[in-house]
Amino acid sequence: MFNCLKGMLVTLVSTMHGLRQPVTRQYPDSGNLLGHHPEPTPVKDRFMGFPALTWDEDVQEPFCTSCMVCIRQCPTQCMSSVMKDNPLHEEGKSSRRKIVDSFEINLNRCILCGICVEVCNFDAIVMTHEHEMSDFSRNAIRVDLPILLENGLKFQKETGWIPPTQRAKVQKGGDAAAETTAAGTET
Amino acid sequence: MPATILLTVGLADFIWIVVGLFIMFTVLSVVVLSLTLLERKLLARLQLRLGPTRTGPMGVMQPIADAFKLILKEDIIPASSEKAIFWVAPIIVVVSAFMIWVTIPGTQNAVIQNLDLGLFYIIAFSVIGILGLVLAGWGSANKYGTLGGLRAAAQLISYEIPIIMVAISVGMLAQSLDMREIVNAQGSYIFFLVQPLGLVLFFIAGLAEVGRTPFDIYFAESEIVGGPFVEYSGAHWSVFFLAEYINTFAIAALTVILFFGGWSGPGLSGDWGIIWFLPKVYLVIMVIFWIRGTFPRLRIDQLMAFAWKVMVPMSFLSVVMTAVYLFYGWPAWSLTLMSSAGLFVVGYLIYKRMTGPTKLVSQTRIRQQALQDQRRAASQAPAEAGGD
Amino acid sequence: MTQISENRTPDAEPVEMLLNMGPQHPSTHGVFRMVLWVDGEKVVDVEPHIGYLHRGSEKLCEGEQYHQVITLFDRLDYLANFNNEQVYCRAVEKLMGLEVSERSEYIRVILCELNRIASHMLFLATMGLDAGAMTPSMICFRGRERIQALFESVSGARMMHNYFRIGGLKEDVPDDFVPQVRDLLKLIKEDTDESDRLLSFNEIFLARLKNIAAISAEDAIDFGLTGPCLRASGVDYDVRKAAPYSVYDRFDFDIPVGLDGDCWDRYYLRVQEIYQSVRIVEQALDQLPDGEVASSLGRRLIRPPAGEVYVRAENPRGEIGVYLISDGSDRPYRIKVRPPSFCNLSALKLMMKDCWIADAVVILGALDIVLGEVDR
Ligand code: SF4
Ligand code: SF4
Repeated sequence: MFNCLKGMLVTLVSTMHGLRQPVTRQYPDSGNLLGHHPEPTPVKDRFMGFPALTWDEDVQEPFCTSCMVCIRQCPTQCMSSVMKDNPLHEEGKSSRRKIVDSFEINLNRCILCGICVEVCNFDAIVMTHEHEMSDFSRNAIRVDLPILLENGLKFQKETGWIPPTQRAKVQKGGDAAAETTAAGTET
Repeated sequence: MPATILLTVGLADFIWIVVGLFIMFTVLSVVVLSLTLLERKLLARLQLRLGPTRTGPMGVMQPIADAFKLILKEDIIPASSEKAIFWVAPIIVVVSAFMIWVTIPGTQNAVIQNLDLGLFYIIAFSVIGILGLVLAGWGSANKYGTLGGLRAAAQLISYEIPIIMVAISVGMLAQSLDMREIVNAQGSYIFFLVQPLGLVLFFIAGLAEVGRTPFDIYFAESEIVGGPFVEYSGAHWSVFFLAEYINTFAIAALTVILFFGGWSGPGLSGDWGIIWFLPKVYLVIMVIFWIRGTFPRLRIDQLMAFAWKVMVPMSFLSVVMTAVYLFYGWPAWSLTLMSSAGLFVVGYLIYKRMTGPTKLVSQTRIRQQALQDQRRAASQAPAEAGGD
Repeated sequence: MTQISENRTPDAEPVEMLLNMGPQHPSTHGVFRMVLWVDGEKVVDVEPHIGYLHRGSEKLCEGEQYHQVITLFDRLDYLANFNNEQVYCRAVEKLMGLEVSERSEYIRVILCELNRIASHMLFLATMGLDAGAMTPSMICFRGRERIQALFESVSGARMMHNYFRIGGLKEDVPDDFVPQVRDLLKLIKEDTDESDRLLSFNEIFLARLKNIAAISAEDAIDFGLTGPCLRASGVDYDVRKAAPYSVYDRFDFDIPVGLDGDCWDRYYLRVQEIYQSVRIVEQALDQLPDGEVASSLGRRLIRPPAGEVYVRAENPRGEIGVYLISDGSDRPYRIKVRPPSFCNLSALKLMMKDCWIADAVVILGALDIVLGEVDR
């Protein structure tokens, strides 16, 4: 009896709490004229959305050399790609001898595991924050190179992406610099 | 035939009844719409959610959207069902729900047909709804439906008795079964003050009667997935839904009329009393929703035991107490005392019934603690020995 | 008309009705099917049917490389992903004789315990729903949501993390991890308190759960129950204490045990376990050392030496065991999982003897099965 009444008190209190601050977050938009509600939860920095290919701004070409490492490592075998000789390399603008000709990811099958990103040696693939790609037809999100690059470029712009290897180099360089200064102060 | 009706009833009365029924239907539909919105919003708030927000400002158009959806949905009739029974069951349920309202007054004059035996009529008609539920369960050729229908029969019939008994004791207090008389009799004090026991019994039995948590056993979603309603869809289902909310509203209105003085209240007289009546009813309904947001569901055997071992004896007791009080003509507070004493007995009985396990729990906690201490001591002893 | 079953036994009276509960039923927790023989409202006999969610995970593992198998383990017990990842990684590490850095062990423990809390919170929610109470589920889901948001910020995914690696972790936790977890723990305690006050000692809830499906310690051991279902019967057995793995021997925590072995004990034990897990995480945060976590093996092809290992761990649902055979190639030769839910489910028949239909739902709920793990 008393615990029942206590329970009713709990719901009452949480209602008062709820009147002040419901935990619901609206999606996709937030509120209307009469009530403004919290924004949809933003994705976290490390959020793994659909994979996409990155774009090398310096050379204006994809990072991907179509080396097939990620394709072999993908647990669901949802990717495929074709390689070609890089015309920009022949012109001497790019250091990549080979480059991706076509690339397809069947996002229906992708399980967003992130293994492809981990194994790529060329910083060519990223897990974007894109997660709203539902469609009515079954094969609508088998995406090919242009869409992958577009998604990747969007992600790069949004997050100010720096290629991980470059970032590691910068960090290492910073460490080395710090070491040298430390050494300098010692001597 | 119509001619004879016209002759016996009189043309004016006939027209009034038709118009009145139409008005009642409209008003009740609006009330049901408001109740569904209220329930969704209130439950949402109880659970830290927002409830409907999309349709219209703050989601106020949600009930209308729901109604449209339900009407436009395909109405599936299972192939192996008894078609006629499947069709007629919702109608029985909803008609009996509507018929109750013929004689429930909103104010002194806002009533379609006041009856001298109004309370009796209401109780009689509310039993008919049970038939509809049993038929619905049986006719839909579904085992969950059958189970639900049988549960409904058992539950509703057992809880009918306390309701009748409490209604009788209220009728004795008011010296009438006419709803208007009952309200008028509460001029000096509302019956809640003299019959708190009656109110509690009536409210609990009323919850069971309309199948509200914790007595939503006959359509328990997590056990028998909707019981009698499991095969219904579209407009048919919405009819059940309508009946359920009308019944809820009726139980709340009856609670207010029998125990909280109906439309009488300070400051307003005549038909303005509706301004007192409606908020009172909605408050009672909000308590019903609040209970829904808090309690788990009972099991069918516990429910029946509760009805026959607690509710029925106590409701007889309330009749006897009222009779004694009236016979000796004692002052009103004596009934209050007796009734409160009875209420404590109810409380104690519920407490006893329900806390059998709780006592075990408190013992369990003590034993658990002892066991844990013992184990900890045991595990520390070798460690110390090892340390040595 | 309802169909009366054929006599189950030749001499039985034909009074029983065959009631198919599931696979599409709101409270069978996934696609699980129970065939109940009911006599009125009483359950006479029950026959569980499993396999609706069979995906052949164990066979699939044989075709994947060692680090790809982690993604499959994520999907076994999909409410305790980190725990599953951990036990698999430990199996391969044991096979290869790898040492894992202190820091990654601690982070693994923190994440596993948080995952245990999240899983138990979901249990409290569904237990309330099975008994007919709606509000506790919302409160518990709020708590679980917070934990999952933390998981997202750590691993990038809310459920299928793929974050643990053989020999370490995918990457270090974010910088604000420790303060974030400390805040989270406070909120977790509040949420658990609230749902506990609301539900645990509610008289109706007690009447529904207490003394339902009580099984003795001997029976529990005989049926191979593990985890909360075993401890509710009063057996003090938890792999974290009985055979400490990872860094669990460095923490001070209790193993709550029940006494009667009924549904309420199984429920309340999990409430208590949430508090114990909070204690573990607090201590782990205090002790969290610095160091390298990223596994050097993440990108490389792993070829463990030929051999076999058996590794066990305490999952939220009980003891999980992984038996791994390697033939020295880059893919496991065979992986066999001992799923706790599956073994706990074996006691269903015993528990449902002479219960009511309403109890059947509660009993199944209190077992807390995850069909992804039962069917694999
Ligand atoms: S994304 Fe990376 S790993 Fe995959 S083909 Fe391109 S370069 Fe190779
Ligand atoms: S995220 Fe995983 S499943 Fe998706 S493409 Fe990359 S490796 Fe394949």
